[in-house]
Amino acid sequence: MSAIIEMKEERKEFKEEFETTDMALFVRTSDESMNDWDRQRIVDALIRETYVDYDTAKEIAREVEDLIATSKIKMITAPLIRELVDTKLIERGLEQARKMHTRLGMPLYDVDQLILHPNKENANVPHGPEATNLTLAERIKKEYALLSVFSQEIADAHMRGDIHLHDLGFVDRPYCSGQSLEYIKRFGLSLPNSIAMAKPAKHPEVLLAHMVKFAAALQSNFAGAIGWDSVNLFFAPYLVGMSDQELEQLAQMMIFEFSQQAVARGGQAIFTDLNLYWEVPKHFEDVPAIGPGGEFTGKTYSEYLKESQRFAWALFQVYQEGDGSGRPFFFPKPLIHITEKFFKTPGHMDFLHHICEVASEKGNTYFVFDRGETAKISECCRLSFKLDQTDLEDAREPWRMRYCALQNVTINLPRVAYLSKGDDTKLFSKITEFVEMSVKAHLEKKLFIEKLLSLGEKGPLALLAMDRDGSPYLRMHRASFLIGMVGLNELVQIHTGQEMHQSRQAFKFGLKVIAHMKLLVDKLVQRYGMHFVLEQTPAESTAYRFAKLDLKYHSPKSGHIVKGDISRGEVYYTNSTYLNNSAVLNPIERVRQEGLFHPMIEAGALTHIWLGEAKPSKESLSNFVIKTFQRTQNDQIAFSPEFTTCNICNRTSRGLRSTCAYCGSKDVDGITRITGYFTKISSWNKGKIGELRNRYRNQAFLEQREEGLILKA
Amino acid sequence: MELIKIFTKSKCPKCPAAKEIGKELKKEGLPVFHFDLDTIDGLAEASFHSVLATPSIIVEDEEEREVASWRGVVPTVQEVKQYLLKGHSF
Repeated sequence: MSAIIEMKEERKEFKEEFETTDMALFVRTSDESMNDWDRQRIVDALIRETYVDYDTAKEIAREVEDLIATSKIKMITAPLIRELVDTKLIERGLEQARKMHTRLGMPLYDVDQLILHPNKENANVPHGPEATNLTLAERIKKEYALLSVFSQEIADAHMRGDIHLHDLGFVDRPYCSGQSLEYIKRFGLSLPNSIAMAKPAKHPEVLLAHMVKFAAALQSNFAGAIGWDSVNLFFAPYLVGMSDQELEQLAQMMIFEFSQQAVARGGQAIFTDLNLYWEVPKHFEDVPAIGPGGEFTGKTYSEYLKESQRFAWALFQVYQEGDGSGRPFFFPKPLIHITEKFFKTPGHMDFLHHICEVASEKGNTYFVFDRGETAKISECCRLSFKLDQTDLEDAREPWRMRYCALQNVTINLPRVAYLSKGDDTKLFSKITEFVEMSVKAHLEKKLFIEKLLSLGEKGPLALLAMDRDGSPYLRMHRASFLIGMVGLNELVQIHTGQEMHQSRQAFKFGLKVIAHMKLLVDKLVQRYGMHFVLEQTPAESTAYRFAKLDLKYHSPKSGHIVKGDISRGEVYYTNSTYLNNSAVLNPIERVRQEGLFHPMIEAGALTHIWLGEAKPSKESLSNFVIKTFQRTQNDQIAFSPEFTTCNICNRTSRGLRSTCAYCGSKDVDGITRITGYFTKISSWNKGKIGELRNRYRNQAFLEQREEGLILKA
Repeated sequence: MELIKIFTKSKCPKCPAAKEIGKELKKEGLPVFHFDLDTIDGLAEASFHSVLATPSIIVEDEEEREVASWRGVVPTVQEVKQYLLKGHSF
C-alpha cells in the first residue's frame, strides 16, 4: 500500500448525516497504510442515495478501493471517488443509480472563468464576488433542477432546445410577482426569521423603507420581477400636507433606493415595477384608505386623488432628471396605466405631455393600455396579471391582491417549423406536443414548490408561507403558469417562405399559430384547473440560445433563417410574436400589427419603438400614445432612445458613440433597452448585440417641423 | 364585390340572430363567410380584424378593407345591405 488518504476536516467533526464524499480527501505518497480510508463510506452512500443492493454496493466499494490503491494517483478528491463509483455503476448498467448518485458542481476551469469574467446571461447582474456567488449557486441549482425536479423527458427537451425552462437556477422559488403596498401598510414589516418586527409605518419615509426591505426579502423568494400596484395612490394617505419639495425628495428617495445596485441578491438591482395611475382606478374608488400607523383614515381612496397625482408627477420629475450622470434610471420601471378614465380625469393632457417628455428624453415610461373594463397589474419585462371578478372583489381589501407566476416555459417555434417540413398538420400537432410538454414542466415545478411550501414557516419558503390575513402570502390558487414563445416570425418564414411583415398571408398564418396556442391553452386550463396563460417571453438570452441550438441541429436550413451575423456569432430569433426588428414599417403600423396578437396573449405583451438618437416632441409622442389607445389593440408600448455615458467625465450624450461627445474619451458605455429594461450594452449577450445592430430606428418616420421633431403616427 | 364576415361563438346568446342574418344574405346570393371563434381559423381571422366581442359582422371591400362593422351587436339585414354595392340584386 503506497498511499495515505487524509481527511481535510477533523475526523471528530464528521457526523453521520454529513455526506461522506463531501469530505475533501488528500492522498500522499507513503509507505504507510491508508489511514482514515474506509470503503464502508462508499457502501453507505450508495445505500442511502440509490436503490443498489448491499452486496453490489460492497462489491463496487472494493473495486474502487483496489483501483485507488493500485493507481499512481498523487491526489484524490471526493468528487473523483464519486466519479470512480459512478463508472462502476455504469459498467453494471445501473443508469438510474448513477443518476441518483451523481455529484453537482462545476469544473475548476469554469469557476476560474466565472470569477474572472462577467456572466452575460442576464444583463442585470453586475460582475463581482457577490455576482459570482449567485452564478455558482445558480449553476448547481440548475443541474439539480434538471436531474431532480423535472423528469428526464422535460429536462431533455430543455437541453435540446425544444423548450426553455426559465430561471432553473432559481428552481426552488416562484418566477415573479405582483404586490400590494397595502400588505405592509396594514401588517408592518413582520417577516419570518427576521430579528426585529416593525409595526405599520407612521411616516412616508418609513413606509418607503419598509417597501424597499420587503422588496429585498421578496427578491430572495422570487426569481424575477417584483411589481407594485398603484404605488402613488397607496402612498397618498401618507402625503397629505407635504410640500412639492418634500414630495420630490420622497420621489427621489424611492427611485434611488430601487436603482442602486450591489446591495441585494448577487449585487443585482431588484427588478422593480411601479404601477402608476393618473386617476383613482375604478376598483379602488370606494375602498377605505389605510394611512399612517396602519389605521383606516375614514376616507376612501377617491378622496386622495390630489396627493396621488402630485406624487406621480414628482416621480416623473425625477425620471426626467436622470441619475447623477444624467443617465436614465434602469430601475424602478414606471408603468403608467392608460384607461378610459385617464382621459376623463382633469389634467390628463398635461400629465401625458409630462410622461411623454420623459419617454422622449430618457425612455423610462411604459404605457400600459387597459381598455374597457380591463384592469391589471404589470411587471417584469411585460408580464401582467389581469384582474378577474374575484380580484376586483378582493380590491375591497387590497392587501389580498398579491399574485405570482410560478414559472415560465418558452417554446422554440422555429424548431417546430424545421421539424414539420412544410406540412400544416405536422406543424400544428408539433405545437400541441410542445405546449403539452410545457404544461408537464409546470406540473412538475408546481409539485416541487408545493412540497417546499408544505414545510410552512419553518421551511425554505417561510416568507411565502407566512399567514397574516387568513391565507398564505403566496396564494397558490391565483398563481399563473406562463407559456411563452420565441421566433413566431421565423416559424412563419420557414413554413411559408415569407416573414410576417412581407405579406398578409404570412401575417395571417402567424395569427393562426397563436390562435392555435391560445385555444389549446384554454383547453388545458379546463383540464387541469390551473391558470396557464400565453406570455411574450422577454427572451433576453433564450432567443440567442434557441438560434445557436438550431444552427447546430437544423443546419444548413437554419443558417438562412436565424437573424443577426453568423460570422460574429451574433445570432438570434425575433422575439415572441414581434415583426422583424429591421423591417421598415411606420411605427404606428408596427404597433397596430403587433397589437393584433396581444388580446390572445393574456399574460402580457409589449411593442418597442426604437428611437436611436432622435428626441421627438412630447406633443408628438402624446399623439402617438392616444392613437395607440384608441385605434389599436396593443397592450403596452415603450419608446427607447439610446445613450452614451462616459466613465471619465461622467456625462451622458444622446445616441450610441465610440467616444464621449464631451471629453473625447474612449472609455464609454452605450445604454439602451435590452428587452423590457434599460442597461449597459457592454453587459449584453451576443444575440442581443446582433439584434441591436439590426433595430430599425424609425428614421424615415421622423420629421423636423417648426414645433419640433415629429414621430409620424 | 363586398364580403360579409360573421364572427360567432358557440356559447353566445346573440350569435344565433347574427347567423340568421348571414343565412338571409346568403339566400340573396351575397358572399357570406362564417367564423367561429372557438376554432383556430375563426380566432385568427377575428384577431386580424380586432374582433373582441361576439357576434360581430364586418363588411369588407375586395381589398379586405373594412367598409362597415357591428361589434358585439346585431344589426338588421337592411342596415347591412345599405353598405353593399348598389346595383346588386337583393
